[in-house]
Amino acid sequence: MIDFQLTQADEKILGAAHEQAIIGRRYARYYDKHEDELEPAEFPEARDLPNPITLAEEAIGGSSGARILHSLVMLEIYWGGIALHRSKWGLGNTVLKTVATPEQIEKWKNHTIAIAITEPGAGSDPANIRTTATFDRETGEWILNGEKIFISQAQSADAAMVLSRFIAQDGSRGMTTFLVEKDTPGFTVGPQLKKLGIRSHDTCNLLFENCRIPEFNHIKGDFKSTMSVFNDSRPMVGAMALGVARAALDFTREKLAERGIEISYRGGMRSRSAVIDRFIRLEAIYEAALLTVLRSKWLEQQDVPPKVEASIAKAAGGKAARKITQGCIDLLGPEALSEEHPLDRCFRDGRIFDIYEGAGEIQRLIIARSILNYTGRDLR
Amino acid sequence: MISFELTQEQKLAQSMVQELAAAQLRPAARGADDREAIPSSILDQLWATGIVQSQAEAGYSPSLNALLLEELAVADAAFAIAAAAPIGFLGAITAQGSPAQKKNLLPLFAGDQYRCGGVAIMEPDFAFDVSSIRTAAIKMRDGYRLSGMKGLVPLARHCSHFIVIAQCDDAADAFIVERSASGVSVGEHKPTIGLRALEMATVSFKDVELDASARLGERAGCDVQRIVNSARTALSAIMTGTSRAVMEFVMPYTKERVVHGDALAKKQTIAFRLADMRIETDAMRWMTWKAASILEQGGDATRQAQLAYTYCGEQAMWIADEGVQMLGGHGYLRDNPVEMWYRDTRTVSVMEGAVGV
Repeated sequence: MIDFQLTQADEKILGAAHEQAIIGRRYARYYDKHEDELEPAEFPEARDLPNPITLAEEAIGGSSGARILHSLVMLEIYWGGIALHRSKWGLGNTVLKTVATPEQIEKWKNHTIAIAITEPGAGSDPANIRTTATFDRETGEWILNGEKIFISQAQSADAAMVLSRFIAQDGSRGMTTFLVEKDTPGFTVGPQLKKLGIRSHDTCNLLFENCRIPEFNHIKGDFKSTMSVFNDSRPMVGAMALGVARAALDFTREKLAERGIEISYRGGMRSRSAVIDRFIRLEAIYEAALLTVLRSKWLEQQDVPPKVEASIAKAAGGKAARKITQGCIDLLGPEALSEEHPLDRCFRDGRIFDIYEGAGEIQRLIIARSILNYTGRDLR
Repeated sequence: MISFELTQEQKLAQSMVQELAAAQLRPAARGADDREAIPSSILDQLWATGIVQSQAEAGYSPSLNALLLEELAVADAAFAIAAAAPIGFLGAITAQGSPAQKKNLLPLFAGDQYRCGGVAIMEPDFAFDVSSIRTAAIKMRDGYRLSGMKGLVPLARHCSHFIVIAQCDDAADAFIVERSASGVSVGEHKPTIGLRALEMATVSFKDVELDASARLGERAGCDVQRIVNSARTALSAIMTGTSRAVMEFVMPYTKERVVHGDALAKKQTIAFRLADMRIETDAMRWMTWKAASILEQGGDATRQAQLAYTYCGEQAMWIADEGVQMLGGHGYLRDNPVEMWYRDTRTVSVMEGAVGV
């Protein structure tokens, strides 16, 4: 049955997530100003609080489902801006889980593994990467050379899952993944990147210079299996974008109300001010995008792997965060520009979601190829 | 519990209407637009689906109505409104009518022949808004006296009854008025940009004397906002359907049409706009479903219906506009349906009232 009401079990988990997000928000400005400082793995306030993501993942009876809840919890966390519990899971862990041998999984299951794909010359076109591993016949090791940029969790992770070209012993070539641990000689993590926003988000470049990798660390993910980790994460990024967007909408609604401007949904557009009309249109963008995220997550729960729906959710969420954070500043005027208020941070933070993990254009390529029944060669 | 699951019954009804839409309704759409009338055979086929009559039943379902109106609008928006208008009328009676009103009116719509009732909200005034109704009902000793004008009433001359939204004691109220009542006159068909087959007309009410029992809900009155919410949800479903028609039409066209040595659809500027059409039609549908599901549960759908209607209006117009653009000069010709969808969308997206889920 078509239904969009949260259950009591949902409300309980999301309520807990929201309370923590309110605490997280107190730190948001601090980490915006101190981008070189890594947040603690667990904030002191969080010591006695359950990780809401764990609550979502364990949700069973009476809830709307673990995947839907997980995305809504992420939305709450991004509403606050800072997670009280740092994630121990990286996208590299997803590669490990899906393609590694049992022995490899056993060794690294408790590690946080960042994923390293993007390079200076290969962002939206990851097939163009140049990082290369050459097999060293004498030692049975791989020698890795190359540079990876914009790597999330670079500093906090224990290891990186590196997508690389390879030249094997028999001269054959292709693409594969290596798990490179932090203390490996020749592996350097650069300084924190200076970004427009999401300044608390741990992001560095990685350098591999004659970095020797044991064969056991060869995870044997290929290009396709590595890129497929984004199937899961795309709607999640949509949800994160909407967390920032809702923070902007909530603040704007509150401040407009303080000035006596209440949003009424009863009349039509010719009965309301331009400010109210614009607010309603921004809020509609939020609702529309949120429903595409829920649709994608709901399909996952039906064991129907979403194809276009995951990209739709990412594209809609990314665009919503841009439009909404830009538009809310218009609605509140020049005072909204001040760092005393959260909108400047929402505006800067909200710009990332249509860029990372597949820019909006890449999502549209994926959607268009799918609905037109085109291959990657047909539509480039 | 958040769910997009359709029931078996919903799926069945959806595929039945899909079939009818493709086989019978779409082929008749252009002719009806040209002749500015819906053939009675089409009205009969709409009636035969039982969609309209089901509003009189206890388990009437705004969610199912939203699903089916989208499918009808994929074939033609005017045909969809020919169903949505009596759905809105009967839905309002079922949801908010007094026991006597239900008993007297619902059986009239249980026959084998198409029958229409209209929800008359819009008025023939520039800058009309649903929140500032000028039609007035004055309380008399044993009833009301109704005066005013209602504009763009679909199939007005086919309607046996209207639900007229009027100001009464400084609040909006609703009155059930027979077309044959003294002082009611249905004007000439007033041709419009789109939805031309609907024979929309102005209906005038000049000192129409109404019994106290004409007030929707009688003593209990009614919630006019609920009628508006239902209308906005229905219009959203219809805009979703027309947008889907546009998208499904331009996809094969742009794949076949070769420009500068390659299919149009292989160019990113076209492909990305097609992707956006898909993103937006999905979003429009879920917005509509959410509003409909709140209505179905008897909740206050004001916010959700407003958001759906506003969003769908904006996106549907964009999609219809791009549809014309992608066909170039061919899109401007009446040989192709996109120019009709462009006109229909401009029309639907400024309408308020007239229909319901």
